[in-house]
Amino acid sequence: MKLTRRNFLAWAGIAATGAIACDLFDDELRVQSPVDIPEDLVSGRDNWYATYDASVPGGQGILVRVMEGRAKKVRGNPRFPTNQGKQSPAADAILQSLYHPDRIAGPMLRNGPRGAGQFRPISWEEALNRFNAAVAERGDRMLLITEPRPGAFARICDSFADAFGGRHLAFDTVDDSAYRHAVKDIMGSDGQPYHDIANAETLVSFGSDFLSTWGNPTAYSVAYGKFRSGHRGRHVHFDPRYSMTAANADKWLPIAPGAEGYAALALAWTLIEMGLAEGDVARLTNGQGAAALNAFRPDAVAGALQIPDAALDGATVAQFFAELASKLAHGGLAMGGGGAAGAYSNGRFNASAALALNYLLGNVGQPGGLLPAPDTPIPGGIDARPAPLSDWQGVASDIAAGATRLVIVHNADPVYGLPARVGLADALSNEAVAIISASPFIDETTAMADLLIPDRAALESWGDDLPDPMPGHTVYAVQQPVVNPLSDLDPRSFPDVLLNAAADLGQGASMPADSHEALIRSNIEDELGADFTEALQNGGWWNENSAGSAPPPASGLLANVAALAAPAAANGTGEFQLLPYPHHTVLDGRNAHLPWAQSTPDPITTVVWQTWVDINEQQGRRMGLREGDVVQITGPNGSITALVYLNPGMPPGIAAVPMGGGRRSGSAYATDRDARESSNVMSILAAAQVDGSGGLAWSGNRCSITPAGDSMAVAKLEGDYTSREIGEHSAELVFKSVSEEGSH
Amino acid sequence: MVVDLDKCTGCQACVVACQAENNIPINTKDYFLQRRAYEWIRIERYWEGEYPNVKARFMPVLCQHCENAPCEPVCPVYATYHNEEGLNVQVYNRCVGTRYCINNCPYQVRMFNYWHPNWPHRMENQLNPDVTVRSRGITEKCTFCVQRIRRGEIQVEARAGQRLDDNRIAAGNYDPACVQACPTSALMFGDLNEPNTAIKPYFDDVNNYPGHHEHERETRGYRLLEEMNTRPSVIYLKKVDQYPLADKGAH
Repeated sequence: MKLTRRNFLAWAGIAATGAIACDLFDDELRVQSPVDIPEDLVSGRDNWYATYDASVPGGQGILVRVMEGRAKKVRGNPRFPTNQGKQSPAADAILQSLYHPDRIAGPMLRNGPRGAGQFRPISWEEALNRFNAAVAERGDRMLLITEPRPGAFARICDSFADAFGGRHLAFDTVDDSAYRHAVKDIMGSDGQPYHDIANAETLVSFGSDFLSTWGNPTAYSVAYGKFRSGHRGRHVHFDPRYSMTAANADKWLPIAPGAEGYAALALAWTLIEMGLAEGDVARLTNGQGAAALNAFRPDAVAGALQIPDAALDGATVAQFFAELASKLAHGGLAMGGGGAAGAYSNGRFNASAALALNYLLGNVGQPGGLLPAPDTPIPGGIDARPAPLSDWQGVASDIAAGATRLVIVHNADPVYGLPARVGLADALSNEAVAIISASPFIDETTAMADLLIPDRAALESWGDDLPDPMPGHTVYAVQQPVVNPLSDLDPRSFPDVLLNAAADLGQGASMPADSHEALIRSNIEDELGADFTEALQNGGWWNENSAGSAPPPASGLLANVAALAAPAAANGTGEFQLLPYPHHTVLDGRNAHLPWAQSTPDPITTVVWQTWVDINEQQGRRMGLREGDVVQITGPNGSITALVYLNPGMPPGIAAVPMGGGRRSGSAYATDRDARESSNVMSILAAAQVDGSGGLAWSGNRCSITPAGDSMAVAKLEGDYTSREIGEHSAELVFKSVSEEGSH
Repeated sequence: MVVDLDKCTGCQACVVACQAENNIPINTKDYFLQRRAYEWIRIERYWEGEYPNVKARFMPVLCQHCENAPCEPVCPVYATYHNEEGLNVQVYNRCVGTRYCINNCPYQVRMFNYWHPNWPHRMENQLNPDVTVRSRGITEKCTFCVQRIRRGEIQVEARAGQRLDDNRIAAGNYDPACVQACPTSALMFGDLNEPNTAIKPYFDDVNNYPGHHEHERETRGYRLLEEMNTRPSVIYLKKVDQYPLADKGAH
C-alpha cells in the first residue's frame, strides 16, 4: 500500500489504540477498536475563537473552530445578541473565502490593457512605494470606494480621504437609501430600527424579504422561530413577488409592484375607522382622524393594489383589511417598506407608510414593536452608509471631468453592481485615472486596477462593526484574526496600509490611531470602558440597558406620509415588471466566487449555479415557454439572457431575476458559465432614482421576454417529479399540515 | 430529532452547515444535473395550490435513523448497522458499493460517491479532521454528526477524569451541525435514552398514538412515510395553517 499522509495517520491512530489497550491513560481515553466507525478516532484539540462576519446582511457574531492553525468550522456565537448562536446559510462560506484557490496571493501590477486582468507579482516594497506616490500626487483627487462598514474601518478611511483632500464613499449594490431616508425623517436616527418579531402577536409586512436578505435575516429568523412558538403569531405579507418571506407568511397577498405604501395606509385608515388604533390618532392625523386618509380607504385603493379576488378567501378588500386590522390591534407589528419595496420611484412613500403604521399601532419602543436604533457607542459611529445612486452618477461625471484621478477600491464592485447606464465602467476605462484595488479577489472593478494590494481575509483580520439594525440596544461587534495567512499568501491589512501611508506622507497626526488593532482597542477600552480581552472572548460588547429612543412622532405624521403618495413610475416598456432580488446566498454577487454560496439551492426554485427568471407557470405555458428555455430579457438599458423557471407562485406579469450572476472577471466559480445561464440583471436597469432619496429605483423597471431559440438543463435540487424528491409519494403523504383550530 | 415544519423557513443554513462539518465535496453544477449532488440534509420544496392561493412548503429531509431500517438488512457486508445508541451507522471501510441500501431507502437520503472527492488547492485546509473523507465507490449519509457526540463524550471524560456514564453529557453539547445552525430552531435534537430530554414528549405522543389522526391534530407529530413501518428516529411536527387552502392541488 502506498503510504500517503492520510493512511499514515490512520495507521498511527490504530497504533495509538494499541497503546491504550495496555491500560495506559485509561482515565482519559476510551479504548477504541479499529473496526469501529472512523468517526470514533478523534485526535487533536480544537479551539473556538469568537469573531465577527460582516459579509452577510446585518452581520453576525461567529465562533470559529481552529485546529493546528487552520480554521475548520464556523458556528453562530451563542452570546452575540443578534444571531444568538444561529447562523446564516452563507456563514460557513467565510471559510471558503479564507482558503479560496483564487485569492490574490500578493501585490501585483497590471501588465496588459486595462480591464484585461493581466498582472505580474511585485514586492510589497514596490507596491507601497507606488501606492504612496499615487496618493502623494493625486490625493486631492482621490476617491476611496469601500464596502459599507461603520466603526474603526470607516473612521480610518474617512480620515485618510480627508487628510489628502479626497473623498470616501461606501458602495452597496442593493441600494436601500429610500428606507434610510424614511427612518431618518420619521425616527430621527441613522441606524435602522429593529422589529421585535419575537414578541409580536400579529405581523404584517410590506415587500421586504426579511427572512432571506433584508435587514438582518438571521436575527429576524431567530425571532421568527420564537414568533411561531407558544402563542403562534400570525403573519400576513404583501409583496408583488413570491419571495421566501411570502412563502413563509401565513397569508401572502400579491399586490401591484410599488403599491406597498397604499396597502399600509389602507390598513391605517381601517384601524382608525374601526377605533382600533392604540397610538395618538389626533396627533398623527392633525385631528382629522380617518378623514386624513380618506384617499386610502380599502375600496378606494383596491384598484391600485390589484389583489386578486381569489386571494381574499371570498372577502372584499375592505372586509379583509377589517379582519386584519382587528388582529393587528393586539400586539400588531408592521414591517418592511425597505429593500425591494423602497426601490420604486415611490419607495420613500412605501417605507414611510410601513414605519408610520407602527406609530398608529402604538408599538414604537414597546416589546413586540418597532425598537428605535440606540445611539452609537463609539466616535465615527454610523457614518459609512452606502452612497445612493445620485452620488455614483456624480462620480462618473467627476472622473470624466478630471476631478477624480485616483480611485482606491476595497471589497466593493461598483462596476458590476451599478446599472451600465451610470457609465462608471466607461469612466474608469480612462487611463488618466489611476486605479488601485485592495480587494482579496478579482472582481469586475478590481480587474480594471493598475495596482493590487490584497487585504487579508476576514478571518485573518481585525475589525469591528455596528450591526444594523441593532437588536433594540447597543451592540459593538469585534472581529479578531483567528488564523494567520497560509505561507503561499502574502496579504496585508488594508486599514494598516492606509495608516502607514498617511504616516509616511506626513499625515500621521490626522489619523485616529497607529494601527487598526490599536483603534479597536482604544474603542473598547477608552470609549466603552470595557476589557479588551473580554470583548474578544465575547465577540464584542453590548449593553442591554441601552434601548434607543425616538422623538415623538411628527404632528400630522400620517398626513405627511399620505402627501408623499404617488404611483410607482415604470422605466422602460414591456409586458413584465422586472423585479431583481438579491440571491439568497450569492447575495448581490459578492459571494459569486464561493462554491458553497453557488451550490446552495435557492429556497423557492431550488436552482443552483445559474441565473434564472421566475415567470408565472400558467403565463409561461401560454407563451409557449418551458423550463430551461433561454429567453432574452430586454430592460430599459439593454438585454440579458436567462433560463426560464416556471414558478407556480409568481404572479403573472412579474419577471423576477436573482442578482449575483454574470460575473466575467475573477474566479472560475463565478465566471465559468456563459451568458445564457449566468447574467447580471443590474446591468440592464435604468439609472432612475427613487423620488426624494437619490437611491437607485432597482424595482421600477419594465421588460419584455422573448425566446432566444435555445434551451439548457436547469441545475436544481428538485427532481423530475415536479417539486418532490421522495419517490412517487404524493406530497400530501409527505408534507402534512393542520388548520389553526386543530393545533396545540 | 424533531423537525418543526411550522418553523422551517427553508433557509438552507442546515444544509451548508452540514456540508462544512462533514467534509462533503463541492456540489458542482454537473452533480445537480446528474441528480448526484451530495446533501446529507436537504430542503425539499413542495408546491400546494394554484396562484394566487399557492404555498411553497419547506421540509428538511435527512437520514431518519430508522429503528426498522430498510437499508440495513440488504447490505451484504454489514457496512450499515444499528448501533447501541440507536444511530444508523455507515462503516465506510466495509462498504463495497453495491448501492443496495440506496435502492432500499424510501427517503432517498443515501448518497453514492461516484467521483473521487476533490478539493481545490488550499480548500483542503478547512476539512474537519474528525470526519473521514469518503473515497470513490462507497455510500455515505447523515450520521447525526456522530463525531460531535464522540468529541463531547471524550471532552467530558477528560475533564472529569473518569469514564462517562449515561447521563453526564449535557444536551446541547452534541447538537449536530444542522441543529446548531438552524436560525428558527426548527430542528431539535436529544438523546432519547435520557429521561428528561426536551424532545422525548414528542416521541411519547407519536409512539402512544400511532396513526391516530385526531390526536395528531393536537400534537402535530408524525413520522415520514409512517405506513412503511420503518419507525424513524426523526419526528416531524405538522405545519400550522392559519389560512388553509381550500384545494391543495398538491404537486
